Amino acid sequence: MGSPDIGITAEPIDNDRCKFIVSQPLHAGGVRRFGSAGEAAGSPLAAAIFAIPAAGVAEVIVSGNLVTVVKRGPTPWTAIGKLVGAAIRSSLATSAPAVAPREPAAATDDDSLYERVAQLFETQVNPMVARHGGAVELIDVQDGIVMLRMGGGCQGCGMADVTLRQGIETMLRQHAPDVKGLVDVTDHSAGSNPYFASAKK
Amino acid sequence: MARPDAPRLLLLLPSTTYRATAFVEAARQLDVALTVASELPSAFEREQPSGLLTLDFADPDRAAEQAGVFAREHPLAGVLGVDDDTAVVAAAVATRLGLRGNPVPAALAARDKQRQREQLAGASVPVPRFVLTPADADPESLSRQVEYPCVLKPLRLSASRGVIRADNPAGFVAAFRRLGAILAQPDVAACGEPARRLLVEQFIPGPEVALEGLLVGGRLRLLALFDKPDPLDGPFFEETIYVTPSRLAPAAQHAIAATAQAAATALGLVEGPVHAELRHNERGPWLIEMAARPIGGRCSAALRFESRDGGRGTGDVSLEELIVRHALAMDLPAFQREDRASGVMMIPVPGAGVLREVRGVEAARSVPLVEAVLITAHQGQRLVPLPEGARYPGFIFARGDGAREVEAALREAHRRLEFVME
Repeated sequence: MGSPDIGITAEPIDNDRCKFIVSQPLHAGGVRRFGSAGEAAGSPLAAAIFAIPAAGVAEVIVSGNLVTVVKRGPTPWTAIGKLVGAAIRSSLATSAPAVAPREPAAATDDDSLYERVAQLFETQVNPMVARHGGAVELIDVQDGIVMLRMGGGCQGCGMADVTLRQGIETMLRQHAPDVKGLVDVTDHSAGSNPYFASAKK
Repeated sequence: MARPDAPRLLLLLPSTTYRATAFVEAARQLDVALTVASELPSAFEREQPSGLLTLDFADPDRAAEQAGVFAREHPLAGVLGVDDDTAVVAAAVATRLGLRGNPVPAALAARDKQRQREQLAGASVPVPRFVLTPADADPESLSRQVEYPCVLKPLRLSASRGVIRADNPAGFVAAFRRLGAILAQPDVAACGEPARRLLVEQFIPGPEVALEGLLVGGRLRLLALFDKPDPLDGPFFEETIYVTPSRLAPAAQHAIAATAQAAATALGLVEGPVHAELRHNERGPWLIEMAARPIGGRCSAALRFESRDGGRGTGDVSLEELIVRHALAMDLPAFQREDRASGVMMIPVPGAGVLREVRGVEAARSVPLVEAVLITAHQGQRLVPLPEGARYPGFIFARGDGAREVEAALREAHRRLEFVME
């Protein structure tokens, strides 16, 4: 089934989305987002996750050592998580790249959206999060989905999701209504200087 | 983004909470308009005034007034606190705006251990005998008056911080001085009068359980009963493993639920989540504490409910989704806790010092039935054990067919972890 040395942590975000943090890199070429099994052809990792029976996988996003899986089926993450882990391990057990590089494409709507979002991040979002020692990096835009990574005081911050949903996402929808979604690909467990650290209760 | 006519929830999140993601995502799942209020300003508050708000959590009346001003422009359909302090603020806001919630005196009684014990004892709910004493009293003199074993407790702190057992006069004096030093710490002293007194109460032997419930119109709906299989006999009372379903006899479980209902009624709590700690021995259940909030930390992830209506078919419903629905007076789906046993370990603080590394995490994750090992402490963080400390280094979650197997998996995963400190 794969190497037992590969560690994978599942961090469910909600019923539909779960982040899997893998102990080794999966894809060094930026972010790749797959919106269907067809798009995953040639990328064994994504293809294996889409093939999980009854999971209703709708989206797979791979960045560095993170895999974010979006599902639409009712089966809980408790049942699907280990199958995703097995899929990740099996794809890493072969010599082929787990994720195929993105093919260069002609200019798309995403390119235009990327420019607008990058401008918004530079002129508004980052000056705001800088008040808390934080930083937000735009990783990519694919099919209208914005992928970002948090750093500094935002990484591991107990209120990071509030910043993400109540701050950044709301602002994005006001300034770029064609944004279809927002995915945080941050490994928050690696944050070493969170602005707000959580306590017991 | 929620539809324009979506009901708006005011969610009160202290900046130190673990609960932000779970509640924010539950609100998104339900497509409600969300305003997050905290005691410190968000970086985006000026730009997103409908979604972010700063409230004075230290002054519930003032916070309610601030929320009232906010609600004139952004009408609120519900308010929700997530810890002991914000439960009081939520009660004040609900009262002022006519929203579903608890009366302020009930929330205050749930937060204050002295007031809670007085009301429960007055209503014949079984609680330990107790006395209140100033923190600057003479411990030598007191040590000759109390009965042993006893437990010294602060009035406001949570998660067993500052709770110490004493078995004899010498132990009492040492515990009194140690708790006095904790009460003098700046973050504790800031809560004012409650930090200048402490409780001395009878030690109740017997296994301890945690009850998670939801009050609807004053009636307690039992959501889960967790066993705490590690004996909590002192001298400190560090919470470690919670496993549900309980392995206590059904009659004992019914008696515990009835005692929790009686406690909620005695305190005047009528709406929303409650989390209670009880002990059970040959004399029956004893109410140790009841809080008007849900389970703390990341522990709610141990709870999953199966919905059988609401147009979603059979599927997961989180504890937070149930609580948000109730706060907004939305229909509660027909639900029940999943059939499987589930457990969480709040990883004990391994010792005092600065955390440099956690080894064995992958080995811990590979233990069968273990679903997640979350290390929430970061490198360089100073770890402080009980009774002075206030932060766990992380959580381990497991699920399986039986409570015994789940408990064993949690212990084995914990055994594989090594904390490197300096």
